[in-house]
Amino acid sequence: MAGGLACGILLLWGGVKITWEKAMTQSQRKATYGFTGPTAVAIREKLGQGLALAALGGFRGLAANALMLQAHGAWEEQQWVRVRSSLELATLLQPRAAVFWDTASWHLAWNAAVAAERYSGEPSETRRRLEARRWVEAGRSLLERGTKAVPERALLFQRLGDLYWQRLEDYQAAADCYRQAIAKGDAPPYLERFVGYALDKAGDKNGALAYFRELRAQMGTPPNPERRPEVVDREILKLEKELSGQAAPKKK
Amino acid sequence: MGWFRGRVLALEGLNMEVHRGEVFGLLGPNGSGKSTAMKMILGLLRPTRGRAEVCGYRAGTIAARRQIGFLPENPYFPNFLNGAELVRYYGRLSGMGGRLLEKRIQELLEMVRLGGEAGKRPLRTYSKGMLQRAGLAGAMVGDPEILMLDEPTAGVDPAGSREIRDLILELRQRGKTVIFSSHLLEQVEDVADRVIILHRGQKLREGRLDDLLTRKKEWEVNVQGLKEEDRKELRGWLEKRGVQVVREGAPRERLEDYFLRSLPEEKRR
Amino acid sequence: MMGSLRRIGAVAGNTFLEAVRQRVFAVLLVFGLILISGANYFTDFSFQEQFKFLKDLGYAAISLTGLLVGLLGATQLIPGEIERRTILTALCRPLRRWEFIVGKYLGLSILLAVMIGVMAVAVAGVLGWKEAQLIAREGSDPAVAASIRAEARDPRLIQAVILLEVKLAVVGAIAVFFSTVATSTTFVMAMTLMVYLIGHLQSVAREQWLESGEVVSWGTKFFLAGVAFLIPDFNLYNLIDEIVAGNAVAWRSTLEVVGYSGVYVAVLLAAASVVFEGRDI
Repeated sequence: MAGGLACGILLLWGGVKITWEKAMTQSQRKATYGFTGPTAVAIREKLGQGLALAALGGFRGLAANALMLQAHGAWEEQQWVRVRSSLELATLLQPRAAVFWDTASWHLAWNAAVAAERYSGEPSETRRRLEARRWVEAGRSLLERGTKAVPERALLFQRLGDLYWQRLEDYQAAADCYRQAIAKGDAPPYLERFVGYALDKAGDKNGALAYFRELRAQMGTPPNPERRPEVVDREILKLEKELSGQAAPKKK
Repeated sequence: MGWFRGRVLALEGLNMEVHRGEVFGLLGPNGSGKSTAMKMILGLLRPTRGRAEVCGYRAGTIAARRQIGFLPENPYFPNFLNGAELVRYYGRLSGMGGRLLEKRIQELLEMVRLGGEAGKRPLRTYSKGMLQRAGLAGAMVGDPEILMLDEPTAGVDPAGSREIRDLILELRQRGKTVIFSSHLLEQVEDVADRVIILHRGQKLREGRLDDLLTRKKEWEVNVQGLKEEDRKELRGWLEKRGVQVVREGAPRERLEDYFLRSLPEEKRR
Repeated sequence: MMGSLRRIGAVAGNTFLEAVRQRVFAVLLVFGLILISGANYFTDFSFQEQFKFLKDLGYAAISLTGLLVGLLGATQLIPGEIERRTILTALCRPLRRWEFIVGKYLGLSILLAVMIGVMAVAVAGVLGWKEAQLIAREGSDPAVAASIRAEARDPRLIQAVILLEVKLAVVGAIAVFFSTVATSTTFVMAMTLMVYLIGHLQSVAREQWLESGEVVSWGTKFFLAGVAFLIPDFNLYNLIDEIVAGNAVAWRSTLEVVGYSGVYVAVLLAAASVVFEGRDI
C-alpha cells in the first residue's frame, strides 16, 4: 500500500511537472533566442560514444572544449577538413558560445582559405582561388548561423562584417553588419566609425559623409573622448573635400 | 524478506505480558524469534496479525517509543563518534538538549564507567564490553521506563557480563522494567524474575523463574563438616523415612564464579 | 514542530559529521589539482577561449565531484545504515521515519553545499590568477584589460553555482528515494545514474510524446510518456552552460529552476517517506 501511495504521488507530480517543464523550456528558449538547438538525439548520432555520454551527462562544455582542442591540433597539422568537422560539432554542442563561432569562422575563412590559396600541390591559380573562395563561403555561412544562434551580442555581427570586408571585399555588406553589431549595445566604440569607412570603401561617399555627420551630432557636447570625435571630424573634412573635388589631406 | 524471496514465519501466536518493574527474560536458541519479538515491540517490524502495547500506547508509535530504551545485539553504532557524542546524538533524537542533556551524558557515562577520557575516545577503539556499556548509556539517556536489551552479554567476557547483570539489577531497584533476550541461560538465571521460552517462533513456556525451576518435590541442604561415616548414617536415616535420595555429593561451583574468584581483586570489576 | 526540527537537525548534523570524519573533503584536493593543471592549458588561445575553458573545466569538475559525492553519500544514507545495522538504534527512538529521511537528506545537502561553495571559490581563485597572468601578458591596452577583468569577475557565475547546487540537490533526492525502495547500494547508484543521464534526454521524450500525434506506435508513446512523467528535465539546468558561455541569464529564469528543484525534492522526499514508513527494518 505504501508503494502504491508513493507511485501515486510521483505520477500526480509527473502530470503537474510536465506542464511546468514545458513552460520553463519555452521561457528559457525565448529568453535566450537560440536555445532551440539541435536535439540530443541528433548530437548522439554525430558524436563518438565518450563525447556523447559527456554531452548527454550535462558536460557539454567540456565536450565542446575537447572538440576545440581537437580543431586546434588539426589546424597545426593543416588538416582543414578535420578542423571544419570538429568546429561544427563544437558549435552544435554549444551553439550559444559566441567564441566558438568566432574561432570557427576565423579558421575557415582566413586560415583554411589562405592555406588553399598558397597550396603548392595545386598548379592552377584559378583552382586555388576557387578553393579558397569555398572556404571563405563556408566561414561566412557558419557565421550567418552564429548570428542566429547568438543574436543578442555584437561580436558575431562584427566578425561577419570583418569577413565581408577582408575576405569578400563586399564593403556595403560589411557596413550593414557593423550597423547591426552597433545596435546590440555591446560593440566596441571604434566600430561605429567602421560603418563610415566601409561605406566610403564601397564608393558611397555621400552615404559615408551623411553617416559621419549624424554620428558627430549624436556625440553631443562635450563628446565622450572614447568615441574619438577628432577622428570623426577629420573624416568629415576629408569626405567634404573629396566630394567638392579638392584633394583630401593625407591621413597620418 | 525482499522482492523475490519467500516469506518466513518468524513468530506465531505469541501472547506475553511484562509487568512494571520486573526483569523479563526472552529465552531461546538462535532463530527462535526473540529479536523479532523485540523489533515488533519497537515498531521496527509490523506484525501480520495481532497487536502490541507499551504502557498503554500502541507499539511503534512515538509515545510508545518514548517509553523504551533499546540496546541491539552486537553493538552497531556510528563508529566515527566517541562515547559522549553517541549518547548526545541519541539524547537529541529523544528530544533532549542543552545543559540538561550534557549533565545526563556525564551521569550516564560515569554510571557505565566510561567517564573522563574513555568517553572521548572514538567508538572504533572500544572493546566489545565498552561498546555495550556505551550502548546502554545511549539507551538510558531519555530516562525510559523500559530497557530492552537484545543479547546484552553476547561476546562479552565474564567480568563484563557480571557488570551488565549488576546494572540490570540496579535498574530494577530504581523501578525500571528490563526486557532482555539471551541464549546464555545461566546468565539469565541470575537476574530474571520471569521468563518466556521460545523455540522456532512459538512459545514453549512462560512464568516466574522460581516457579519454573524449583523442583518442588525435592529439598536441598548444603552442609559442612559432615564426616564420611555420618554421611552413611544420614543416608540410612532418610531411607528409613521413605525419602528418596536423588543426588548426593560435593556441590559444584559455577565456572564463572570460580573464574572471577581466581582473578585479582581489581580485575574482577 | 520544534521537536521535529531538533530531531531532524540531530540526524542532519550526524550525517554531516560522518562525512567530515570520513574525510570526504579530501576529494577537494583532487579537484583543486585538476583545476590548477587545467589553468595552464589552452594558453595558445584567445583570452576569451582560455576563460571559457577554465570555467567549463571548473564547473564540470564541480558537477562531477558533486555528482560522485552525492551518489556515494546518498547510497550510504539508508542502505549503508541498514547494512551496518546502525539504523536500529536511531529508529527505535521517538523519531518519526520521515524525520529520519529528511534529516539524512539535509545532512547530505549541507555537505554538498559546502563542498560546492569551496570549489566555486577555488574556481574564482584560479580565474583571478588567470586574470593576473593575462593582464601582465596582454593588458597594456585598457580596453583589453577591461575585457579580461569582465571575463574573470563575471558576477553571473553566482547563478551558475546556485543552479549546480539545486541540480545536485535533485540528484541527491532521487538517490534517497531509491534508497528507501532498494536494499542494494549498487542498485541505488546504478538507478540514480541512469535517471541522471536519461534526464538530459527527458525534454526530447516529452516533446516527442506531446507533439508526435499518430506518428509513433502505442508502445513508443507509452515509453515516452513514462520518461516524461517520471524523470526530471535536467536540460533546464543548461542555463549553467549559458552563463559559462558569457551570455546573460535572467535571475527570474534561475529562480524558476530553483523553485522547480525545491518542489521536486519535496515530492521525492515525501514519496521516500511513504515507502520507508511501510518498510520492515
